[in-house]
This record gives sequence, structure tokens and C-alpha cells, in this order.
Amino acid sequence: MLRYIALKVGRAVFVVWAAFTLTFVLLFVLPADPVDLLFDPAELNAIPPEVRRQVADNYGFNQPVLLQYLDRLGHALRGDFGESVQSGRPVTAAILDMLPSTLALASGALVLALLIAFAVAFVATSTRQEWLRNLLEALPSGAVSVPVFLSGILMLQVFSFRLGWFPAFGDQGASSLVLPLITLAIPVSGPIAQLLVRSFATEFRSGYVTTSWAKGATRGRIVAGDVFRNASLPALTIAGITFGNLIAGSVITETVFARKGLGRMTQTAINTLDVPLVQGIVVLVAVTFATINLVVDLIYPLLDPRLRATLAVPAPGPS
Amino acid sequence: MSDLRSAIENAGPGRRKWPWISAGVAVLLVVTGIAYAATRGGGAAPGAAGGGEPVRGGTLQFALIDYQRSPDPQWGTNYAESLIGNNITDKLTWQDPKTGEITPWLAESWEYNKDLTEFTFHLRKDVTFSDGARFDAAAVKANFDQYVRGDKALGVNPNGATLLPGYIETLTPDDFTAVVRFAKPLASFLQASAFTANAQPGFLSPATLRLSAKERTDPRKVIGTGPFVYESWQEQAKTVLVKRAGYNWSPPALGHKGEAYLDRVVFNTIPEASVRTGSLTSGTIDATLDVGTTDEKPLAAQGYKIIYRGVSGTAIFFNFNSQLFPTNDIAVRRAIQAGWDREAVRKTVLTDSYSVATSVLAPSVPGYVDYGGTILKFDPDKARRILDEAGWAPGADGIRVKDGKRLEVKLLGINNLVVNKPAYESIQQDLKKIGIDLQLTVVPIPDYTANQAKAKTDWNITAANRSRNDPAVLNLQYGPQLGNGAYVTRDSVGVDLDEVTQTLGRLELTLDPQTRKQYAKAAQDLLLDKYALVNPVYNPSQVIAHAPSVHGIIFDAQSRNHFVDAWKSNGK
Repeated sequence: MLRYIALKVGRAVFVVWAAFTLTFVLLFVLPADPVDLLFDPAELNAIPPEVRRQVADNYGFNQPVLLQYLDRLGHALRGDFGESVQSGRPVTAAILDMLPSTLALASGALVLALLIAFAVAFVATSTRQEWLRNLLEALPSGAVSVPVFLSGILMLQVFSFRLGWFPAFGDQGASSLVLPLITLAIPVSGPIAQLLVRSFATEFRSGYVTTSWAKGATRGRIVAGDVFRNASLPALTIAGITFGNLIAGSVITETVFARKGLGRMTQTAINTLDVPLVQGIVVLVAVTFATINLVVDLIYPLLDPRLRATLAVPAPGPS
Repeated sequence: MSDLRSAIENAGPGRRKWPWISAGVAVLLVVTGIAYAATRGGGAAPGAAGGGEPVRGGTLQFALIDYQRSPDPQWGTNYAESLIGNNITDKLTWQDPKTGEITPWLAESWEYNKDLTEFTFHLRKDVTFSDGARFDAAAVKANFDQYVRGDKALGVNPNGATLLPGYIETLTPDDFTAVVRFAKPLASFLQASAFTANAQPGFLSPATLRLSAKERTDPRKVIGTGPFVYESWQEQAKTVLVKRAGYNWSPPALGHKGEAYLDRVVFNTIPEASVRTGSLTSGTIDATLDVGTTDEKPLAAQGYKIIYRGVSGTAIFFNFNSQLFPTNDIAVRRAIQAGWDREAVRKTVLTDSYSVATSVLAPSVPGYVDYGGTILKFDPDKARRILDEAGWAPGADGIRVKDGKRLEVKLLGINNLVVNKPAYESIQQDLKKIGIDLQLTVVPIPDYTANQAKAKTDWNITAANRSRNDPAVLNLQYGPQLGNGAYVTRDSVGVDLDEVTQTLGRLELTLDPQTRKQYAKAAQDLLLDKYALVNPVYNPSQVIAHAPSVHGIIFDAQSRNHFVDAWKSNGK
């Protein structure tokens, strides 16, 4: 068991380090010079070399690349990612500033997406209407195919500009969170719903369900009592994918609804080659991603007795 | 699939079907209801105009595409930053947006030596920063010193080094006289003292100058003399300014007395075009910048006011690389100048807020000369003749060939303005008809910047523009020792390097309006006619749509907005 944990933790640490290193390499391989991006593009030819040097010096960009890498890595280990090239703010502070709004959006959307996914799976399994089941089973792929951008704009047109129920932009309390939540939850719910519908259907046909039927249980009771528990577990395995969807969706959602957040900050940071900021964000995302996968790996044996048994096999005690 | 489970279930009594039908009907009703509301509700007509006397008070909700990354106006390199910086800081002088004349602001008067290396400003004596500090010659010196040289210990960049090249020092012979000295003649400094675009010389309080770049990210510590002060700054979302109590020094040329009319201006960042216009028509915001060309007409039809000003400086230009094949051939450069249909671009791509370029300078720049009827006239026959005479013969695919090489012209452009790409594509089609294969690479700013580094050897044309309302912009952009936009060197065939250097350089040598006009004409003649180093395309504009109840938004000479004179009819 200890070996299992050590292996998983080691893998998580490696993922974070690799993400840090890879972004560093990518940003330096890119042909644009972050110093150039601080100037007007039409002005580039006219910047005196000493000015360019002074600016590069300000950010440590003129040191040998390896030294820069080690320096950044050393500071990053202590949670210091330096200052943003474009705004001069400490990266950690800038990220912490944006984190709450993105967290509220992402976690809210996740809860909503789960509710939608389970509702779809429940109804699709419990209903006896063929057409309704077919319709519901088609929904997940539909939800994934609708671009977040389009659904966001549509929702704004109807509920903000026409009906005036919700604010169109900014962060003004709970009401400004409603539309972004729905917009983001729809595509995120798609893969989860698809997985659940399938695993609900599989479980629904298994032997223990037939036994329950034979004992006289109603359809609703069987779905809620027997199928639900066994069929939900696989949803955990795609937690990583779900997280990825949330991040990707939040970039667009935050842009359409003009919300502040990590997604938009990432976009700007990449566009302006803001090396320290990009690295801070990538490391944060990698840490979260690795943690989620780690937690899933670690709690899976607790939820599934069969897996616990397999893990126990390599170290059987003498009788 | 007919398994045991289904058999058991189906053995039971069937259920009624009507709940499903009624549920279906209910869903249908809700959907129709929303659709009905969507088509009928909202879209209220904008409030009544009301003109006459300015009303005091109220909050102006303003929208724009960029956000302010740093509250420090001397640093700011995007539009939001310069726009907001203009409302919290003042400059030494104010350039009249109509005439280009430099008029007093924080400096009441000024003189300069004959060489144009020393500029003496006599300052107003009643100006204070919003932290109570006095604005005086020492403040001018402290600002310019740091603006040009930066401060390594504080992490402050030399933001003004490109605007004030050759800056030596500022002398302070008395409390309200500042003498700015340069190593070389710099006629354009007078205009630079009024400069309001990116990385502008707006004056910050001595207390602010002592803070590090990091500390200046707190807006409450960024102190200016302007008509507004920071109330709050939410990165990515919005910046809120409140009026400065006791402000009484707006540029005399504006005719505005005392404090700003508005209590508050909120700059909302809204990246999506449809959300900006939707927010305007639904009344959430009062005015928006960055109005798309396709939105102008519908908004005007709904009663919103469209105001605009051309971006001053150069037009959007195609700078020809004078030493790279095939634009090293003047015949190719001339053929491109004459070979595209201006009228088609005007009709299909531009709106009334934009104009087709008739010189490399925008019409608002002093010294502008109109070449619309001569060099820059669409004349495909002339273009064909020029190419024929130069030995470019039509090839099999219609593209001309000379010495076995196709007439391929590679263009590098930026897609930051929505009009750019369609305009370039229109030109591309026209040029194809006369046998020139214009290959477009129109990319976002970072990619442009990356490629620009290789422009000398890889690109025949770089397409961009430069914002500076002074004819010396031609020297900055094309001077072989400076921007060298056409990459003129000793290797450029048929181009006299020294002549280009001198003709453009003279623009920095005089401030006499008549002489400067002559120099400006000579510079444009050289760039457009004699050496055909540039093909100007169109003059971009800053376009604002606002509710009729909003008045007095000013476009300055750099097309940035000032809100000191703005007011709302309802005062709310």
C-alpha cells in the first residue's frame, strides 16, 4: 500500500516539474522576445540597443538561459514566481487575486454539470418512453458540440439584453454568476452524462437488478437504490478530463462575460509572452491536475473493495 | 435485449401516457414564452438627448476592449492604459486636435533655442498633485529623469527613452521654470510634451516616483494632477475614476473651467464586440469604444451617436523593403501603389468613420499633402505599363516573371484592427489582375513582433501604422538611423541613403511652421514619389458609440479620450 502511495505521489511531483520545465523551454523556443512586446510594434526598429538591454536587465532576461531556469526553479520551489513583465505585479499575488472568481465559476459549474449529468442519466434509465430515452441519450453529444462561445452569446442576448434578468458583464455578486455557470456547465456535463448513461444502462441489465425486480421493487427504487451507487463510480475516473474541460471552458466563458479570472489572465499572459506569469499559472494548473488525479487514485481503493484486494495481494502475510 | 428484467416489468399494468404529453406541452409553452420575450422585450430606445447647459454629477459607464494592466500611465502600452492615464495626469502642453497647434496646459508659455536642443517651459503656479504636493520645475525634472532613464533599483523601465531620444537633463533655474536639454536638435519634442498615447509623459507626484514598479500597481498610490483620480482598479474587469476636487487647470483651448462635470467614470473591459453593443443598447453602459465596422450603422439607426477621429500619425502603411527581391525594384513598388482600387476598399471594407489614405501622413498631421489624385490613384493600365517596361512579362498562371523568378511579394501584417485583413485581401485581388502575387501573412501582435525581427531578410512588406501627430513621425519611422521602415542601406538599388537621411532628418531641425511644411512635403515626395518606399492604405479610426444623453467626450490629437468636459443629460 505504501509503495502504491509513493508511486502515485512521485508521479504527481514529476508532472508538476515537467510542466514547469516544458513551459520554460517553450517560451524560450518561441521566436518572439518578451522585451519587444513591451513596445509599440511599429516602434521596434527604433529602440536603441541600450534601452532594450536595460529593460531585459530589469527582468533578468539577459542572463544565460540555464541560469535563468535554475534561478526561476529555485524561487518557484519557495512559491515565488517573480513579477509579471506586463504589469509589474508579483505573479503569486496576481494569481491569488484571480483565483476566487475562477474557483467560484469552476466549482459552481462542476456542481451544476454533475446535477445535469445525473438527472439525464436518471431520467434516461427510469423512463419507459422510448422517444424520451433516445432524446436524452442524444443530449450529451449535443452539449459537447455546442461551442461555449455561441451558447454564451445566445444566453446573453436573451437573458441580459432582452429580458434584463442578469447583468451582462463583470462580477456583481451572485446574479452575475448565473449565466456563466450555465454556459460553462453545459459542455462540462456532456462527457459525464454520456459516461453515466452508459454505465447506468449496463448496471440496469445486470443480475442483481433482475433479482430486485423479481422481489417486486419499482423501477424508480431500483435506479435510485441499486444502480445509482454502482454506476456512479466510473464518473470519478474522468475527473481529470472534467477539470481540463472546466479550464478550457473558463477561458472562453470569462472572455464572453468579461469576468476577471485565471482563464483570461492565461490568454493575455501567453499573448504577451509574460514568462513569469505563464509559468505561475501552468504550475498552478499542473499542481491541481496532479492533485486531483492523485486523490482519485488514492480514494479509489477505498470505494472499490476489489481494487483493495488486488493491492493487498503482493504483500500477503504468512498464515 | 428482451431479457428477464423487461419481461417482469412489462408484466405489470401499463401507465397512463398523459403526464408525458402534458409535460411536453409545458416545456413547449416555456420555450415559446422565452422566445417571445426575446423578440419583443428589451431594445428600448435610448434616452432623450437633451442639450444645452452641462449637467453636473453622475457616473459614465464606458466600455472598451482592452484592460489596464498597470495603473502607471508612464508605463502603459495599450489603449486602455493611455486612455485612462490621460484622465488622471496632465501634460506640459495640449495639441489642438484640429490644427495640430501646440497650446498651453501645465506650461503657460515656452521658448526654445535656435538649435532646438533647449526648451524652456514657464509653468502654471496653481497646480497641485492630488496628494497635495506642488507641481513645479522640480517635479518636471524628477518625472523626465525617471521617464527617460528608468530606475533599476525601483524596477522602473526607461519608458520615455524612445519618445525623448538624446535627453540630457532638466534644469530648474527657478521654482516654476523648467529647461529641458537634448544632445541633438529635437523639434518633435514640443509635440512630445503634449503626447497622450502609449507610455505618455503624464506627470506623477514625487511621492509616486519614489515607489517601485511593484508598489505602483496599487492605483491609490499613483498620483497625478489630472481631472480624475483613481478610486479602484480591478485587473481585467474595470477601473473607476472619481473627479478631483478643486481641479482647475484643464487646457485653456478646451474652454472648460473648473472640475470635471462627471462624478465618476467607470471603464469596463468587455472583450466581446456583441456584448459591448448589447450592453449599450440595453442601457447598462452609456458609451463604448472599439465599435466594429459592422455595428456602426445599426447603432446609428437605433439613435445612438457615433463619434470618431482618425488615428493621427501615419496611415496604415505597406512599407517596402528596398533591398529584398522583388521590392528592390522601384517598378514593382510603383505598380503596387497604382495597382489597387481605392474605391472598392472604401465601399466594401471601410465605413464613413475611416478613410482611404491619400498620403503616408494622416490628414490631421501638420504638413500633410494630398497625393490622392496623383501617385496614389488607382490606375491599373499605368501599373501594367510600368511592369512591362521593367521587363516583368506575364507568366503562364498570369503572375509576371522576370529572369525566371515569379513576382511574389510577401507581406507581414497585424490583425489587431478588424479592417486590416479584408482591406489587404481587396488589394491582393486587384494586384493579381496586374500580375503581382501578394502573399498575406496577417497575424496577432506577438507573432508580428517575432517576425518583424527578421523583416529585413524575409518580408517584402511590413504593414502597420504609427500614432504620432507630428510630421517628424516620418523621420522616426523611415529615418535610416531610426525606424528605417523601408530598410534603406547602401545596398538599396537606386536609393540615395544620404538623401533619405537628410530629407527626413530635417524635420527635427525647425519649428517654423512654413519651413516645416516644406520639409514635410519634401519628405512625403521622397517616400511616396521619388523612391516609392511606401504604399499607404487607409487611415484607421477610433470609433465611439454613445447614448444621446452623453455629451462632451473629447478626442485629443492622438485620438485618445478626455472626460473632463463630458456630462450626462440626466446627471445620474
